[in-house]
Amino acid sequence: MSLARVNWREVFARFGLVMALVALIVILSLLSDRFLTTSNVVNVLRQISINAIIACGMTVVIIGRGIDLSVGSLLALTGVVGAGLAVGGLPAGLAVLVAMALGTALGTFNGLFVAYAGIAPFIVTLAGLTIFRGAALAYTDGRPITGLPSFFMTLGYGSFLGLPVPIWIMLAFLLVTHVILRFTALGRAIYAIGGNEEAARLSGIPVRRVQAFTFAYSGMAAALAAMVLTGRLNSAQPSAGVMFELDAIAAVVVGGTSLFGGRGGVFGTLVGALIIGVINNGMNLLNVPSFYQQIVKGGVILAALLIERLVATRRT
Amino acid sequence: MSLLQMTGVDKSFGHVAALSGVDFTLEAGEVHALVGENGAGKSTLMKILAGVQPPDAGSMTLAGQPVRFASVNEAQARGVVMVYQELALVPSLSIAENLFMGRLPRLVGYRELHERARALLVEVELDLDPAGEVARLGIGERQLLEIARALSREGRILVLDEPTAALSASESERLFAIIAKVKSSGVGMVYISHRLEEVFRIADRVTVLRDGRLVGTRAVADTTADEIVQLMVGKSVRRYQRAPRTTGASLGAFEAAGPNLAPLSITLEAGEVVGLAGVIGSGRERILPTLFGLEGTASWAGEPVRSPREAIRQGIVLVPSDRKQQGLVMELTVQENVSLATLSRLQRFGFIDARREREQTRTWIERLSLRPPEPRKPVRELSGGNQQKVVVAKSLATEPKVLLLDEPTRGVDVGARAELYDVIDGLSRRGLGLLLSSSDTEELIGLSDRILVFRGGRVATELRPPFDYEEVVAHVTGARQLA
Repeated sequence: MSLARVNWREVFARFGLVMALVALIVILSLLSDRFLTTSNVVNVLRQISINAIIACGMTVVIIGRGIDLSVGSLLALTGVVGAGLAVGGLPAGLAVLVAMALGTALGTFNGLFVAYAGIAPFIVTLAGLTIFRGAALAYTDGRPITGLPSFFMTLGYGSFLGLPVPIWIMLAFLLVTHVILRFTALGRAIYAIGGNEEAARLSGIPVRRVQAFTFAYSGMAAALAAMVLTGRLNSAQPSAGVMFELDAIAAVVVGGTSLFGGRGGVFGTLVGALIIGVINNGMNLLNVPSFYQQIVKGGVILAALLIERLVATRRT
Repeated sequence: MSLLQMTGVDKSFGHVAALSGVDFTLEAGEVHALVGENGAGKSTLMKILAGVQPPDAGSMTLAGQPVRFASVNEAQARGVVMVYQELALVPSLSIAENLFMGRLPRLVGYRELHERARALLVEVELDLDPAGEVARLGIGERQLLEIARALSREGRILVLDEPTAALSASESERLFAIIAKVKSSGVGMVYISHRLEEVFRIADRVTVLRDGRLVGTRAVADTTADEIVQLMVGKSVRRYQRAPRTTGASLGAFEAAGPNLAPLSITLEAGEVVGLAGVIGSGRERILPTLFGLEGTASWAGEPVRSPREAIRQGIVLVPSDRKQQGLVMELTVQENVSLATLSRLQRFGFIDARREREQTRTWIERLSLRPPEPRKPVRELSGGNQQKVVVAKSLATEPKVLLLDEPTRGVDVGARAELYDVIDGLSRRGLGLLLSSSDTEELIGLSDRILVFRGGRVATELRPPFDYEEVVAHVTGARQLA
């Protein structure tokens, strides 16, 4: 390939997302002088951190050709259990670990039904969505849990090297997920199963175990997000996280991970979450009424997928 | 005047001539069998008849009138209906709905629909409730249902493409009875089959194709199975012959059984290539999936093989027949595909050892002379032959003792085919045991140390070298049993 002739289609396929994000940032900085300030940039990153953490787990599931609709409810349940234990006297750090273990266990519960009972992920996690929500409401009797130890405040409001803790947690989790997907045998197996389950099985890959893992990982991600959210709100709400699953899925697909499995990655998901976050933030700065914001957000998701579709069909 | 007359039909795909100058006629009330080895051009000829593909040259008349079909619908409108091997029914709909698919009235009156369906079912002697779901029918009943549907479209010409491949003996009997009945009503039928015993039972004439050319049409009453086999085989040039070789050192024995496979045992020596022959439906195509733990029950050297994972652990690996569906992950690169079956060996503490992975891939790219030799190229961009080499590389990377090859050269070009044969010979020299399941007789003869011929779900014959091409074909098609 010569250097002089740039294959624009290839460039778009690879960097189209980042280019869209940059274009969005340029437009918004022209429309509002408050947009490209340090405090607003940090603000956007902090706002997207919870969605990005959930979306990391979702990316893993979707690459393996699954879907996890239960993450919003799972976030609520693990949040109230973690907060409840901490308020009840368990050391806060331990309460957080227990909540994350619970998230992993509930994700595994989803995964076992998908992998070993062969029920469609959509159905299993839809059931999870109502079961976990119900459990969260039952556990708290529908009331928020308050009076948390200061550890949670640190999670939500602390800062380290000038950056808020939620952003550090998001970045660390992104990195871990990236390493798993790209550098481990497990990650390779997830791509293989999403791309061609039959070929993966014939290659001796333990397909069911790996599938179950993806859901367990998504459960853990949702529990981690729950801890950050609990810190941000300084309380745990049984009604938290409603519709979070849709925001996470939107970040994943806008980020270029194929819903048909086998393709994608976690950095695309970060860019996807950023695009959605920047749009939300920009519309707030421009005083767009919230009802219209939802319409715009939906439109952006459709436009992103349409563009991806066009690029993909041209490629073949 | 013939019901159908095809004259001088030519068809090529790229540079490959699939048909050249083929003539074919069909009379009303006749069953005309079309036989020939794989790739002889039978399916192409019938696709042209049914309007699936246009011919490059040649003409066609129906009852004396010149016709040219631009689509399947046009052909159907003129009464030419194809009954496919892979059935075109919607399992979740009722029998009646399937029978009238595409011709349902806008507002379906079920009472009338069911009455009309019942009349059709009587014609093919199917005693079924028209409201019943197709999903609950056996494969044989579905085949008969397809024929009923074809008849309801006022088919004057039916093309049956290996209709008994998936049928049991009693279902086949039923099919023959219905063919006789349909025939007496003046419908002409083209009957494609690999089983000569069927041809001699139900056909009036038989036409043999070889390498896209017509080699002869005979009245069944005036010919013998031996003559037909001779016509099918011709004087073929043997392209590859491996020096037969066995070491006498036993590797172990496979035991296997399955739904369409009588219990059998295959012993394997180091360096031995055992060929598995048989038409589709003979049980031959079920053996390798069974031995690899995908279906039925199997054991190797006394140890059960219940999953591909267990098989690989025992040193058995399968190169599957369908590389796109079963062999490769198209989204991944050459290197990622080559590593797929050896991930557990390439990892250290869960992390893939990048250097060892690169080395392993490079080794196999060189050994199999993969082109282009680029580990990072997506497999979907490779040619069929090179994709197949990637599947072979992935399998061999597990360092197996036994290699199961299922139609290893299907859809592979001539050059890559010869290279794969050399690879197979090399593996035998290294002392691997190989089972080669193939529908390509030349390939079986060129590579095998012995050939097991399957019929009716069991080993019917074991052949040893020197192999006689005609004899192998005669055993596979069942012609030997007719003589």
